[in-house]
Amino acid sequence: MLLPALVLVPLAVLLPGLTHGGGWDLIGAFAAAALTPSLDPLVLGSLLGGLGVTAGMALLGWAGSLLLGLLLGVASSRTVWRTLTGSALPAALIRRLLAIPRAIHELIWGLLLLQLVGLQPAVAVLAIALPFGALVARVLSDLLDALPTANLEALRAAGAPAPAALLTALGPALLPGVLSYGGYRLECALRSATLLGVFGLGGLGTDLKLSLQSLEFRELWSGLWLLLAVMLTLEAGVSLLRRRWLVPGRFVLARRGVGERSREMLLVLAALLPLCALVGRGLGVNPAALLNWQPLPGLGAGDWSATLALPWPALVGGTLQLTALAATLAVGLAPVLLLLAAPNRWARRSLQLFWALGRLWPPPLSALLLLFVLEPGVVTAALALGFHNLGILGRLLLEGAGSTAAAAEEALTCAGSGPRLALLYGRFSGLARPYLAYGAYRADVMLRESVVVGLAGATGLGSQLLESLSSFAWDQLLALVAVYALLTLIGEDLSDRARRRWLASG
Amino acid sequence: MRAPVTVSALLELRGILVPGRERPRLDGVDLRLAPGERVALLGPSGAGKSTLLAVANGLLAPAAGTVLWEGHPPARSRRGRRRQQARIGTLWQDLRLIEELTVQQNLNAARLARWGWPKALLNLLLPLESEDCAAALRTMDLDPALLDQPVTALSGGQRQRVAMARLLRQDPILLLADEPLASLDPRLAAELLALLLAQAAAPRALLLSLHRPDLLDGFDRAVGLRGGRMVFDHPIAAVTTELLAELYRGGPAGEGTKA
Repeated sequence: MLLPALVLVPLAVLLPGLTHGGGWDLIGAFAAAALTPSLDPLVLGSLLGGLGVTAGMALLGWAGSLLLGLLLGVASSRTVWRTLTGSALPAALIRRLLAIPRAIHELIWGLLLLQLVGLQPAVAVLAIALPFGALVARVLSDLLDALPTANLEALRAAGAPAPAALLTALGPALLPGVLSYGGYRLECALRSATLLGVFGLGGLGTDLKLSLQSLEFRELWSGLWLLLAVMLTLEAGVSLLRRRWLVPGRFVLARRGVGERSREMLLVLAALLPLCALVGRGLGVNPAALLNWQPLPGLGAGDWSATLALPWPALVGGTLQLTALAATLAVGLAPVLLLLAAPNRWARRSLQLFWALGRLWPPPLSALLLLFVLEPGVVTAALALGFHNLGILGRLLLEGAGSTAAAAEEALTCAGSGPRLALLYGRFSGLARPYLAYGAYRADVMLRESVVVGLAGATGLGSQLLESLSSFAWDQLLALVAVYALLTLIGEDLSDRARRRWLASG
Repeated sequence: MRAPVTVSALLELRGILVPGRERPRLDGVDLRLAPGERVALLGPSGAGKSTLLAVANGLLAPAAGTVLWEGHPPARSRRGRRRQQARIGTLWQDLRLIEELTVQQNLNAARLARWGWPKALLNLLLPLESEDCAAALRTMDLDPALLDQPVTALSGGQRQRVAMARLLRQDPILLLADEPLASLDPRLAAELLALLLAQAAAPRALLLSLHRPDLLDGFDRAVGLRGGRMVFDHPIAAVTTELLAELYRGGPAGEGTKA
């Protein structure tokens, strides 16, 4: 589990060569501004407005993705098709088709839609809803197909019609998964909405990027702290609902009426509808405007020889290198940092804060920040991407460590081993396999995300994609997106295999 | 209303063959269950008791042979088949209660054959037909106050009774039970068997697989299965200790008795 952290050694050798000295005082000013964010009401007002837009886009995109994901998820479940029609073939077909929207990162969706229908709030919403919906669909259908079918069989044998039997036997069993995953997706949507803002689709992300570029670090931090507050509130709210509805039955649900929980959920869902409508109106989302396609500038003059002449091996190689570096950084650093910080409560707290910042801090902004002191290149981009994913993996690791049994660790502590060694041998050894398995999944997400640090990358498909987009080279763009999707699909397959292997032999 | 001219058997199996990996799981099995009959299915582990029950409740289609329910072969249409299945009630060995739901919702799950999905959805949201559910619990000697409990909160014996109450809510005519007494202590097993036998009166019939020959009182017939073949089909009075000893004798169950 600690092996990936060895990547630090070559990095430590490489980094001094890449630094260019100029911006250290800027970094210092940036760090100092963390404690003295701007409290100017004018700044705060504008930031709050931006935050509202970002949160609204996230909410709408999330709601849309859930709706889409639920429908498509049920439609791509083998169990459902087998029960309804006797054949699971359509499920496999729909599943394959859904791989395409899933393989394309929301940023690419956003930029493509931006070209197609122009700048409007609905673009960001749709850009989030499409890939997220396909992702939710996949997770949901995996969950559905993993449920035991004994109860379903029993209901069918008692003559229940297929839809009613599916609803009763699988519906309640599916809820916990849908709720946890849905809650997690809301956080992801908030992150993505901020990210889309960085690329000009409006909201807080745009403000953050502008204040970074104009070196207004204090304003930047005001925005960051606000975002952090919203994210933490969201996490707390989601975990509250999860506890209320999902903590294993025995005690919590023992004295509640028949179906009371379901009624509560329905109520929350019902409250979500007018909220979404309200937010949509507030943001000025106009679905009709989406149908109003603009002619793409320069379309038709496809220059395929120029497309072929792109340095493909270098592009693909750069992307893979970037992903591998970022993945090892994130996967390797999280346990090392936790080990270092573990014995001290305050160190643990600040590590948690550091990780939370990493999660919400859009990677392209870290990349911009790093460019103050580093040359653009794969390493810089990997650092930015790795930092972001470190936050996500770190939280997961902490949650995992919290929920595994403390017995082995206590035994080691009692036997006189130090707190760090006890944590390493006592808890991490049991956690290693699921953590690495999740790391494999995360690596595949990072491959998809590598487009967002294309700015700082200077190599790789991501930067070429942004370049082609700004020069309206549609043929190149098409080829790039296709290669990207293909790469992502291969990566997904590989990470799936790795994950299955790590989990199965565990 | 329905029914062919003769009083037909509730369940009739003729020459049932279910192929297995090395030897058939069922081979040439004939069985007839008339209304009011209570039949115990005996045999060592692996004799094919569960397979026979799976054929009897329509879960498994035999490779050869005839299955007749109330004189009719399995219906072609989905609707007709559902109507047939609704009249066959199974008490599963693993109970198959839906763990996420309350007792009442589980009991109502047996009504789905008559309800369809809109009412199935409603069942997840509201307490439906509380009076009928309470009555089913009372028949099984359970407190109706249990209705709003999640089934995970019940004891093993209570779960067994809830599964039986669900069977009552389905109101089937053919009762099938796969070793329902396997995991219960002797007193509880006897109590539950008595409750089950009491439900199998007149228009109904009961086929119950059992691995405890000491509980045969109250049954009309016993059927012995060994290695997928039927060894005997006798009235209870004719089931002797020697017959049982022969049925459960050591050695691989795979070797047929009559060969």
